[in-house]
Amino acid sequence: MAANFWTSSQCKQLLDPEEVDVVHQIDRERGITLEDFKLIKLHMSNYIAKLAQNVKVRQRVVASAITYMRRVYVRRPITEYDPRLVAPACLYLASKAEESTVQARLLVFYIKKLYSDDKYRYEIKDILEMEMKILEALNYYLVVFHPYRSLSQLLQDVGMTDATQLTWGIVNDTYKTDLILVHPPHLIALACIYIASVLKEKENTGWFEELRVDMNVVKNIAMEMLDFYDSHKMITDERVSAAMMKLNR
Amino acid sequence: MAAAAPGQLNLEESPSWGSRSVECFEKLEQIGEGTYGQVYMAKEKRTGEVVALKKIRMDNEKEGFPITAIREIKILKKLQHENVIKLKEIVTSPGREVDEQGKPDGNRYKGSIYMVFEYMDHDLTGLADRPGLRFTIPQIKCYMRQLLTGLHYCHVNQVLHRDIKGSNLLIDNEGNLKLADFGLARSFSGDHNANLTNRVITLWYRPPELLLGATKYGPAVDMWSVGCIFAELLNGKPILPGKNEPEQLNKIFELCGTPDEINWPGVSKIPWYNKFKPARPMKRRLREVFRHFDRHAMDLLDKMLMLDPSQRIAAREALDAEYFWTEPLPCDPKSLPKYESSHEFQTKKKRQQQRQNEEMAKRQKLQHPQQHSRLPPIQQQGQSQHWTGPNHHLNASHNPLSSGPNHHQYGKPHGGPGGPNRYPQSGNPSGGFYSDRGAQGGNYSSGGYPPQGRGPPYPGGAVGPSGPRGGAAGGYGVPPNYPQSNQYGGSGAGRGPNSSMPGNRNQQYGWQQ
Repeated sequence: MAANFWTSSQCKQLLDPEEVDVVHQIDRERGITLEDFKLIKLHMSNYIAKLAQNVKVRQRVVASAITYMRRVYVRRPITEYDPRLVAPACLYLASKAEESTVQARLLVFYIKKLYSDDKYRYEIKDILEMEMKILEALNYYLVVFHPYRSLSQLLQDVGMTDATQLTWGIVNDTYKTDLILVHPPHLIALACIYIASVLKEKENTGWFEELRVDMNVVKNIAMEMLDFYDSHKMITDERVSAAMMKLNR
Repeated sequence: MAAAAPGQLNLEESPSWGSRSVECFEKLEQIGEGTYGQVYMAKEKRTGEVVALKKIRMDNEKEGFPITAIREIKILKKLQHENVIKLKEIVTSPGREVDEQGKPDGNRYKGSIYMVFEYMDHDLTGLADRPGLRFTIPQIKCYMRQLLTGLHYCHVNQVLHRDIKGSNLLIDNEGNLKLADFGLARSFSGDHNANLTNRVITLWYRPPELLLGATKYGPAVDMWSVGCIFAELLNGKPILPGKNEPEQLNKIFELCGTPDEINWPGVSKIPWYNKFKPARPMKRRLREVFRHFDRHAMDLLDKMLMLDPSQRIAAREALDAEYFWTEPLPCDPKSLPKYESSHEFQTKKKRQQQRQNEEMAKRQKLQHPQQHSRLPPIQQQGQSQHWTGPNHHLNASHNPLSSGPNHHQYGKPHGGPGGPNRYPQSGNPSGGFYSDRGAQGGNYSSGGYPPQGRGPPYPGGAVGPSGPRGGAAGGYGVPPNYPQSNQYGGSGAGRGPNSSMPGNRNQQYGWQQ
């Protein structure tokens, strides 16, 4: 059966961090550094989330859309497909794939409302056109497994249902990084629980040890998230717009 | 990903990425009509492998890539089973126009997308319709068991097929049966409370709960269709060939009895129950009508054609039925005879051709008696077109053509959305739930396809390319007073951390099984 994560393409195509953190040659020629690349993807993840909030779709759709966007840029240079178009197009496609269809004209309406900047202005036809390119870039693999599914079960098992909000938020934040391309979703969920346990000063070592998972990986994911939180404080609007500027010809 | 070496331009697409072009294949002939486009038999030029190409029409799509196609692709990529058709890849046709800068040219996507499937020689209806062919009991058991195995796999993976019928059951020359055409399929995971459209499943195979307007349903809908096919295989012809929804329900009631709160608890709460409640109760006559079936077949059929979906047998239980474990046992697929390729689409075409030729011959005999025997068939056809204008008899010759083995799929426009104006918006006549039927009749007659064809007429094109599901394109047969036809309405319900909560409301339909 292939209807579970382990036999899915997502599982088979999990990437090494080294594969994800590659800036394409053409992008490098434009002066885009790995730092810029990550910043742009972070900025676009926020853009997708903001847009989704306005059109009112569930978190799953946001998570899938961001995953699509990140997958696209493993394959295509960021200067080739403008992320300011790829982001809404990914949300559009994800809304269909997750059975919460949002009309393209609604997206266009909210894009105009959110950004007065002309560089964000795209029309319906642009979104539809980009949707096709994204489908190809994704090789039509649209099913994404997310950490959310296992989260509530795990929280119940560890007796931390009171930390649901907190953990859920941390999981949301993992989409600001490329973790979903690199690690299986249940390990990401565990890492988020791990962080929540530390924050709540709850002693769960025994519970984690009983799980038959590689705790080193869990801890690594957790470390990566904590690093992200640290570096996130340093991110300023100026840095983001400087990176975004490099996209323009 | 392969980036160009320093100093070189990265002009070429990375070969490991993107879809191949449909040019890699040579189309041989059309073998069918899918839910939203034609199906071709084709040969891969490089390897010579024969495949089936299913076209996804993109023009006229207001909302980009059709959601029906997205569903089908998602589901097919998820399902990998020997009794489920295999999607090999997706290829694009070069109709796409992008200028050198990679910028959209200002128009919509013009090309087509094709799904590439493994090629199967037959479909069950096409095979069963071969003149002089009768399936043996072990053969029927063999097909039924494969059908149930494939369907069970779909159901445990939380996929409803929603269009089980003979022409969607493909059979290869090794005797393998595979479920195909997932264009109406839907995954029901995570959407426990979602309202699903009841305008699915070809009329003759549509279960009573859908005809009564239920919008929360489960795998049992597919099992009803399986029951209809099973009986059809044993009976030699379709058992419930209704012309429209009320007649379909009536035929079901005549055969299976009328539903009431005793044999189907909760039935009176289904939306259209009161509308269609028969004036007087009828007895279940299934065993009487099919008394010539053997006992185990009858027992199994009885459980498949239960009115109450929660009492209807599930695929898994059906596989355990005595029927499959008593002599004569199901045969090994490989032992089955090999037949010349036959798809319903082709057999129909052949028969139409034949009928047309006979008709022509007859007319020629009348008008030019001396020519008749000398004309080879191909010339006769040429002539028939030639005569189109002046000959008044021509209408007569058209009729057998269109009312012949006319399958629904001919009648419906492929992926052709009619625009919003096709919705019968104009109020809600006292006619009630099927007030859209007038409009559909219009479709048929304008297309020259009278509804009395061999295939189930498609009121509402419920299985049409754009039915009530897409919302984006179609317009066919969305009843104006059917608020739930847009299933996305329910999408908000699952938002938030608790979206995985099981929906208790579905239990009445036995989903959890």
